[in-house]
Amino acid sequence: MALARIRGIRISGIASAVPDQAHFPSEFFDRFGKEEVLKIVENTGVQKRYIAPPGMCASDLCVAAADRLLTEGKWERESIDAVIFLSQSPDYELPFSAATIQRRLRLPNECAAFDVNLGCSGYVYGLWLAGSLISGAGMRRVLLLMGDTSTKVSEEDRSVALLFGDAGTSTIVEKTDKKERFTFVLGTDGKGEQSLIIPAGRCRKPTDETTRVRREAENGNHRSEEELYMNGAEIFAFSLAEVPKMVRQVLVASEKTVETIDFFVLHQANKFILEYLAKRMKIHGDKVPISLDEYGNTSSASIPVTMTHCLRDQLSRKKMDLLFGGFGVGYSWGAVTCTVGEIVMPEMIFLSLRDMDKKDAQ
Amino acid sequence: MTRDKFISEIENLLEVDAGSLAGESLLQNIQRWDSLAVVGFIAMVDENFGFTPSPKKIAESATIEDLMKIAGLHLEG
Repeated sequence: MALARIRGIRISGIASAVPDQAHFPSEFFDRFGKEEVLKIVENTGVQKRYIAPPGMCASDLCVAAADRLLTEGKWERESIDAVIFLSQSPDYELPFSAATIQRRLRLPNECAAFDVNLGCSGYVYGLWLAGSLISGAGMRRVLLLMGDTSTKVSEEDRSVALLFGDAGTSTIVEKTDKKERFTFVLGTDGKGEQSLIIPAGRCRKPTDETTRVRREAENGNHRSEEELYMNGAEIFAFSLAEVPKMVRQVLVASEKTVETIDFFVLHQANKFILEYLAKRMKIHGDKVPISLDEYGNTSSASIPVTMTHCLRDQLSRKKMDLLFGGFGVGYSWGAVTCTVGEIVMPEMIFLSLRDMDKKDAQ
Repeated sequence: MTRDKFISEIENLLEVDAGSLAGESLLQNIQRWDSLAVVGFIAMVDENFGFTPSPKKIAESATIEDLMKIAGLHLEG
């Protein structure tokens, strides 16, 4: 397990955006039956989520979040040294989305820009990467964007159809003279490849006429090879094995305890997993904020979305000791302890296609 | 944990009537034995037996008795 300590960085702003179109479990009553849908909802906890209409990408949500954040925090766009777009749903096969984002956000040409392909563990990896660019590569201010739109999910597959929501977020990480420390624990186990996968559509298995066809899978679910497959039992077993361990390790490495951490902001996998993990780690439920009831599992965006939704007031006013924990696709996992607070935090942004048109016309 | 207690835990998990399941009950005949139940079973074993059972072994199980073997209960007789 990789352990990293970074000093002299701070999170100075977080903004989150979701599409303005809310979706509800009742939309699936006809397809799966009411009783089955309610049973799924009881387990996942997802009562509502926002899904991007055709034409709205993860990058659009991230750009909306970044625009608001830069404006509200009065950061000069010329002061951004690097922009990182962390996502599993880029705009194009190529070019990478961060280049397009650099133009759309009117960031300077001197700005470094690149994409990173990670999912549920992404926020911790992204902070580590942004922090490393500052502490080791001389940068002063990094714009960290992340989020996904889950367009490749079969609505005929009950294991995933009701779980995911779309979101895009923006975090500013910058250099500071303060000695505060971020302590990271990062890990990977590629044995998880087949447990959460879209098998076809890229180089290993390019799209053809067979990969697009939905076929019957386990438990009467239907999906194509270009759609997401999730083995919930394997993911849960992995989470039980790795999450308590990584949390213990990062607490020890940062000389903190379950009692001294104000909030454990964890990837919003599903309610059952989150509650069980909290109980297992003897963390009081009040210290584990939940946003998935309102937004679903928003992949790498789930930690910043949870902060915007649950902790905005507190984080705007005061400093708190936080632990972020991400885990999932890969498998990949990471946890970080840090002090965050007195930061710029706009309200949740609800983006419409019309807002996007207006922006493009400017 | 006794065998009886184990079976009653499974009955709780599946929300079926007490006494409706036995060691030889076939999982494929239990309508509520689905992917959510498997996740619940993993949590139950983790909580009561202190280890994470293999999802693969659970998927290969045919009866409640097989689930007991996974939990290590058959050793206690």
